[in-house]
Amino acid sequence: MPNWTKEIESRLGSLRLDPTREAEIIEELSQHLELRYLELRDEGVDEAAALALAREELLDEQSLAVRMRPLKQSNTSPTAAPGAPHGQRGRIEDLKQDLRLAARMLRKQRVLTLAVVATLALGIGSNGAIFALVDKVLLRDLPLPEPDRVLTIWESTEGTPKSPVSAPNLVDWIDRSESFEAIGAYPPGVFTMVMSGPDSAETVPRQWVSAGIFEALGVRPVIGRTFTKEDDVARSRLVVLAEDYWRTRFGADPAVVGQVLRLDGADYTVIGVVPAEAQLIGRTSLFGFRPIRGYPEGARRSYGLQTIARLKPGVSPEVARDELARIAADLAREYPTMNAGRSIAIEPLRDVVLGTDLKRTSLLFFAIVAFVLLICFANIANLLLTRNAARGNELAIRSVLGADRKRLVRQFSTENVVLATIGGLVGLGVAAALLRVAPQLIPQDLLPAGFALDFDWRIAAFCAAATVVVAALFTFASARQVIELSQTREGLSGTRTVTDRSSRTREVLVVGQIATAVALLYGAGLLMRTLIQVDGVDPGYRAASVLSVFVDPLATTPEATLQFYADISAELEGQPGVDSVAWTSDLPLGGAFNGQLFFEVAGQPVEPAERPLAGAQIVSPEYFRTLDLPILAGRGFDERDRADGPATCIVNRAFADRYVRGVAIGQTVLRWLAEASSDAPITCEIIGVAANHKIRPDDLVDPPLVYTSLARRTLDDIFMLVRPTSGDAAALIPAARAAIAKIDTQRLTSVTDVRTLETVARDATARYRFRATLVVAFAGLALLLAMLGLFGILAYSVQKRWREYGVRMALGARADDVIRLIARGAVRLILPGALIGAMLALGLGQLLGAMLFGVRAFDAVTITVVLVVLAATTAAAVAGPAFRARRVDPVGALRSE
Amino acid sequence: MLARELKKGSAELIILSIVEARARHGYEISKLIEARSKGEVKFHVASLYPLLYRLEERGWLKGRWVEKPGQRRRRFYSLTAEGHGVLEQQRETWQKFVEAIASITESSHA
Repeated sequence: MPNWTKEIESRLGSLRLDPTREAEIIEELSQHLELRYLELRDEGVDEAAALALAREELLDEQSLAVRMRPLKQSNTSPTAAPGAPHGQRGRIEDLKQDLRLAARMLRKQRVLTLAVVATLALGIGSNGAIFALVDKVLLRDLPLPEPDRVLTIWESTEGTPKSPVSAPNLVDWIDRSESFEAIGAYPPGVFTMVMSGPDSAETVPRQWVSAGIFEALGVRPVIGRTFTKEDDVARSRLVVLAEDYWRTRFGADPAVVGQVLRLDGADYTVIGVVPAEAQLIGRTSLFGFRPIRGYPEGARRSYGLQTIARLKPGVSPEVARDELARIAADLAREYPTMNAGRSIAIEPLRDVVLGTDLKRTSLLFFAIVAFVLLICFANIANLLLTRNAARGNELAIRSVLGADRKRLVRQFSTENVVLATIGGLVGLGVAAALLRVAPQLIPQDLLPAGFALDFDWRIAAFCAAATVVVAALFTFASARQVIELSQTREGLSGTRTVTDRSSRTREVLVVGQIATAVALLYGAGLLMRTLIQVDGVDPGYRAASVLSVFVDPLATTPEATLQFYADISAELEGQPGVDSVAWTSDLPLGGAFNGQLFFEVAGQPVEPAERPLAGAQIVSPEYFRTLDLPILAGRGFDERDRADGPATCIVNRAFADRYVRGVAIGQTVLRWLAEASSDAPITCEIIGVAANHKIRPDDLVDPPLVYTSLARRTLDDIFMLVRPTSGDAAALIPAARAAIAKIDTQRLTSVTDVRTLETVARDATARYRFRATLVVAFAGLALLLAMLGLFGILAYSVQKRWREYGVRMALGARADDVIRLIARGAVRLILPGALIGAMLALGLGQLLGAMLFGVRAFDAVTITVVLVVLAATTAAAVAGPAFRARRVDPVGALRSE
Repeated sequence: MLARELKKGSAELIILSIVEARARHGYEISKLIEARSKGEVKFHVASLYPLLYRLEERGWLKGRWVEKPGQRRRRFYSLTAEGHGVLEQQRETWQKFVEAIASITESSHA
């Protein structure tokens, strides 16, 4: 047998072939020459002639090289790594080619591409943004080092399983326990201090904290130091700045450490700056030092501190709890009058910071957005299936002509993957944009301070994962369809069976979309009705519009403060358009009481541990008139209710109805700062009963309230209320500011939080509004997508059945009959969709239960409205295709194929 | 001369059509061309393979080594999706050309 290798090799020698490739060519050409030689020998040609004839195939010495030279493979760069596996290179070449084809196809079908990319981007983007919230709230740890070691410790009694802690008890825990690296505490609530400079005053949010709080959180100072046990003993006036405040207000000047700030008229030394994570306990600019040592023993009954503790490494929460419980038992023995029956409870800090309401809201949003994403997928799948079906003829012809099915599938898959990738990338942008505007959209108190929703790799990974799933789903669906289409030769003549099967898939998708949209609309409807209910809650007062201004003067003496308020009132009341001016410690719908006291009514004793709580509000005599809050019995405050006069108070109707037997006027209320206190109570005589007003819009029961006259208990953090004679109270803002400025000649008073009570009421329902708005928006999107899906199906079927309609009309059917036919097709999809949707809606209503107010989970009004909306939008979706079908020209339709 | 020009212009179309139905190896391709043209058209090794490689580089053909039990591996060429498109287009062009020629020549008979 001749060996052709040498011959071929010498002819290829002048080319720059990759050695592997060269070997392949030699192998291939040798095989050919060999077969030729054997064939000639079989035909009886003698060996020499057969050899010569075979060699003739190679023509002259140069021919092969001349023809090969223009080829790319004959010109490989000499630097290319020899022996690079060809398989891989070939695959990359194939991929490039597939991508080119896909790009061409997508450019050609521009509208489809745009529709798919936009739908995907919206779906993936909104999911990504909501995922950021879910990730922070449900999946991720607190932004603290070793967050598992951080706990909250509560005092606990039989009646109150989780009560705040008293300072002396806390000090004993700290001194006697071994399990903790650090324990710190703070009174909950950020309030403001007035920081005065040489010629100005500004209001700064401040959170009081004890020594050890930053160590317990695991927060290290950016510069300077934090509070220590030694500070506790020295009881010095110290502050630590929050990092963002230090940067914006002090220009990140390190020399701020050691500086003295004048706060509320006293000197505080700045000792350090702490990073943003410290604000987990409160959105604040200053952390003021509050000692916990050196209180009188009676303070053991004053439970006002929230604690944070960090376990020593390796100590389990259970061990720590047992140790603290032992210490609490010791304390109960040592202080039987104060600590009997008091134990402790621990809770991970995460659960305290991220309340159940926030978790529920995040889950709700995520579920809803995931539903919308599903609808998006269904819509896109629909679009692609329709598109593929339209290409059915092309596919069938190609497969009949011997096209490689695998190749077809691969080409379609590449298109889908390219589509999904573009959609995913745009979606990533949408998510980033949404997160950028999110801080303006979400109510400030929804997320704890220190929680920012930012775009990070986890969001990107989520979007990428969604994209992969989409690409895989589409690829799978298209592959199935391509295989079905190419299997059938009927493809050449309209492919009845296959289009039937894939239209069934499309119909199922549309039914699913309608069902989901119905469920989401129902949920949105419930949340909307809740919002309407809380917005429509009667605040109790009748004044149409009232301006509220938070005033924080530098306190000197109560008399001077009272005079200051009186001067401002007199100045303002002299202005045109001002009806009355009043002062109060709390605002209706302001969200919480400034203070609450335990009480009982004289002559109606209750168990000390069972004493109820009542709000304690301090108001000036004009308060009731300014708000137009009726005094139902007795009288309002007047000049008789002075600091040196008899102790008087007004209760609200809820108090009188629920807790006072007989006529309220003249009875005495006894009040204590702490539950079960044996201290002497604060007493007052009821002189009037006022109508109720709401503190929170969603209070089911009006809370009891005791009013004290401002003259008896003077405050220096106070709201001024201004009621106009008519019109919008906001018009009085300049007058109010001017009046304060005129009286406050030294500019030492901080004026903040200027808003009308209407705004206060709106802010009170911000959470409901946010939830409702978001869910309504997504439900609307869902409905739109579902209707687009329905429209697509109907339009497609009208197009497919054009000829049939023509035949029907030629046989005497009228346009109305054709429309009825189309409408019947729509109803066939809408009915099961609506039915399944209604069932889903009931389930969703149950899940929403805790977020509803004034609406039940099963609400006939809402479901009716949803069905009406569905019917109306269906009519809109049917109208287009039906209108088109009306114009079927029987002759034209019959001739069209 | 004309025959050579025609052959050159139609070489691609010939190869693409031969592998349209299924993948084939080089020797098979050359035999089929010879057989179907009843010996009128013949490709030598020195022209057939450079042509196959060129079509492969353009992405119209795909060559793949296939091993069958008991045989040496062989390189099979199949049509790619793009190749399909090109084939259909070339076929149409060729058809039109043939029809045009036919009608010209027929009209001379008329």
